[in-house]
Amino acid sequence: MTIMYGGAEMGQGANTALPMIVAEELDADWSTVSTEQVGNDLDGVYGNPSIGGILYTAGSYTVEGYFNGLRQAGAQARQILRQMAAAHWNVPVPEVTTRQGTLLHNATGRTMRYGEVATLVQPDMPVEAVADEDLKPRSEWTIIGTDVDRLDIPDKTTGATRYSIDVDVPDMVYAVQLLAPVEGEAPTINSDAAARVIDGVLDVMALPNSVAVLARSFWAAVAGREALDVSWTETSPFRTADSEAELQNLTTAADDPNADAVVWESRGDGGEDYSAGNVITAHYTTEHVYHAQMEPLNVVASVDEDGLGAEIWIGTQSQTVSVAIAAAVLGTTPDRIRLNAMQMGGAFGRRTWFAREMLRDALILSRAAGRPVKLVWTREDDVKQGWLRAATVQRFDAILGENGALEALRHRVAAPSTFQFVQPDRWNPEVRTDPLIMEGSESRDYDIPEFRAEHIQAPRVSRLSAWRGIGWGPVCFGRECFIDELAEQAGSDPVSFRRRLLSNSPRGLGVFDAVVAMSDFGNAPEGRAHGIAFAGYKSSYASGVAEVSYEGERLRVHRFWAAVDPGLAIHPQSYLSQVEGGILFGLSSVLAERSSFTAGQIDQNNFYDYEPIRMYDVPEIEVQIIDSDNPPSGGGEIGVPMAAPAIANAVRALTGAAPNRLPFPRRT
Amino acid sequence: MVNLNVNGRTVEIDISPDTPLLWALRDELKLTGTRYGCGAGMCGACTVHLNGEAMFSCQLRVGDIEGDTITTIEGLSPEGDHPVQKAWIAEQVPQCGYCQSGQIMRAAALLSRSPQPSRDEIVDEMSANLCRCATYSRIIRAIERAAQEG
Ligand code: FES
Ligand code: FES
Repeated sequence: MTIMYGGAEMGQGANTALPMIVAEELDADWSTVSTEQVGNDLDGVYGNPSIGGILYTAGSYTVEGYFNGLRQAGAQARQILRQMAAAHWNVPVPEVTTRQGTLLHNATGRTMRYGEVATLVQPDMPVEAVADEDLKPRSEWTIIGTDVDRLDIPDKTTGATRYSIDVDVPDMVYAVQLLAPVEGEAPTINSDAAARVIDGVLDVMALPNSVAVLARSFWAAVAGREALDVSWTETSPFRTADSEAELQNLTTAADDPNADAVVWESRGDGGEDYSAGNVITAHYTTEHVYHAQMEPLNVVASVDEDGLGAEIWIGTQSQTVSVAIAAAVLGTTPDRIRLNAMQMGGAFGRRTWFAREMLRDALILSRAAGRPVKLVWTREDDVKQGWLRAATVQRFDAILGENGALEALRHRVAAPSTFQFVQPDRWNPEVRTDPLIMEGSESRDYDIPEFRAEHIQAPRVSRLSAWRGIGWGPVCFGRECFIDELAEQAGSDPVSFRRRLLSNSPRGLGVFDAVVAMSDFGNAPEGRAHGIAFAGYKSSYASGVAEVSYEGERLRVHRFWAAVDPGLAIHPQSYLSQVEGGILFGLSSVLAERSSFTAGQIDQNNFYDYEPIRMYDVPEIEVQIIDSDNPPSGGGEIGVPMAAPAIANAVRALTGAAPNRLPFPRRT
Repeated sequence: MVNLNVNGRTVEIDISPDTPLLWALRDELKLTGTRYGCGAGMCGACTVHLNGEAMFSCQLRVGDIEGDTITTIEGLSPEGDHPVQKAWIAEQVPQCGYCQSGQIMRAAALLSRSPQPSRDEIVDEMSANLCRCATYSRIIRAIERAAQEG
């Protein structure tokens, strides 16, 4: 049995979790299930209801968005099979039952496998709709909530899994680009003669913001690129972009009393005076980071002879977006685009809108060359052309009451808009506050009588994209560090102070108390210290504790405990892997991850100057899932927001000096 | 012309001797299980065995290794059932999977050199390979399991 699923597989296990939901209601025999990712969803059947009904996988929305619909779909399919079997056996439908992929008629002892029923001619009868009440109660689940093996793992241990970079089709050639060093600039080819004489090089072509070398092999294309002599228009406004200057500007904006601060969330009557003498103020900075998915971006395109259709192989977080882009580039209709949605070698927010340039370029090249083209970025291209997580400077102002309670808090975030860059046509300039920056800053579980979160939008000076954890990563870092600061000034401690704030959030308290207990918080071994953070993600709750020490100048995170409440985990082992991966992403952003740019060009090149976390920095991690019997939510982001502030607060407890910047400044 | 001994076969390839082994494997021999991550000896996605030792194939030039024995993930075991591969399934290690051929090749070389590695030895050796999905804890568990179950 093959179950098609709409989410995109980038490592998170959607290929197993989504089919599990269908199989549960279908009463399928799980051992016979295989799965396939949907490519071009022309009939609009497979879209995610939480993301406007399109195929778009981001924000940990997959399980959450598809859960109800997939249960319904499974139940409805089972109903149709029962009706067909009943007609075939000439018995009433209610007498037909199912068990693990088999239809049964108990009275006569007849049975049929689902596969056999599916080959029967469907009788001409109305399909009886399955009501929500007729879905299986949780007590009868045998697949959801179990740790079945992931279906994709065997091939990932033999090298057999195919990513788009592995696609090989007849007559295919390879392409490498010399990409504009500064965004938006156009090339002039001074000479390509030296490139063309290289063995294996087939052609050199100018594209809008690059020069492409087509060759019989990737390596020949790279050699050809090195031999090009190209100059650029040098007129881009980003020629002056500088990441240090941007951080300066963001700090100025965050401190400017007349800044255009747009309210994202407010509670209370808003009459607080944050210029008064008793206000506690602090700043936190998060620098740019890059996705560093292990498979450098690449696309394979094969344009049809008439130029009005194409087959595409792409690892994309949105099949819908990729199809729309391809159709627009070729001036054709979506039904002419055959999209193979490939397993992604990681994504983390990088593979949403990248298609608008890279897929475009691959299509132009294939159309011009009259053959399939595999366009591959080198790691250096991937680093230099990064769509970064926006830098933020956050300013907090707070007022404590007589009794040490937090009475008023203002959380200002100075940052450019990511949304405006990735989806300019959906960006409403009137709104001026960006969910991809601000979400998470609501501090919704904290009971604060006067609360405000505000976005001060700054102009964009680099390319931007959401990064794992989206806005929650930066804003929860700032807030949770500041809460420790306030706890100290209130003469309280990190646990009591937060417990008081969480008094109206049972699920918040649930994870918080759990992690305090798990970690035996505050009782770190000699020479080490604990730090705690409370930071959920959308409808999930989480709290984390880090145990740290310094070995000379080197920060060591020895242990990390997390308690998470996703509502319900469909596939707990995948969920745990996601939480752990997220925690390590967060830890990585503390240690060394940093993209900077000078004169419009990203300074880093490859993994020697942009280094994600390696095994020697990995702590022992313990994650407890708290099942609150709420609707399920995804695990892709939830590990990130709690990690950095828990570590920062542990450093504060250990050294008395609180890091207020990501990555942490080097200790001297 | 370059002659390579890959997975027990000798193959003749018409490429320049300074081509990195990685690209000879992927583009010429279509052994795409060996992955490209950085081309700079920094990530280990391209790890293969050269005479039984884990090496970054992006850093080897085919002209320099003509007499050597090369094993890729496709040649590690006939049925994908090397103890390391079995342990990888038992511990459900991969997420996106892209780094995992390299991880498995490095782990297999480690275990053949040191059948019962200490945890520190595992961490030292495996820190050469990046996993952006951060499957590191499961990698450690899988190597420990493979060492036990041999
Ligand atoms: S591709 Fe060889 S080490 Fe990264
Ligand atoms: S499993 Fe994705 S990079 Fe390792």
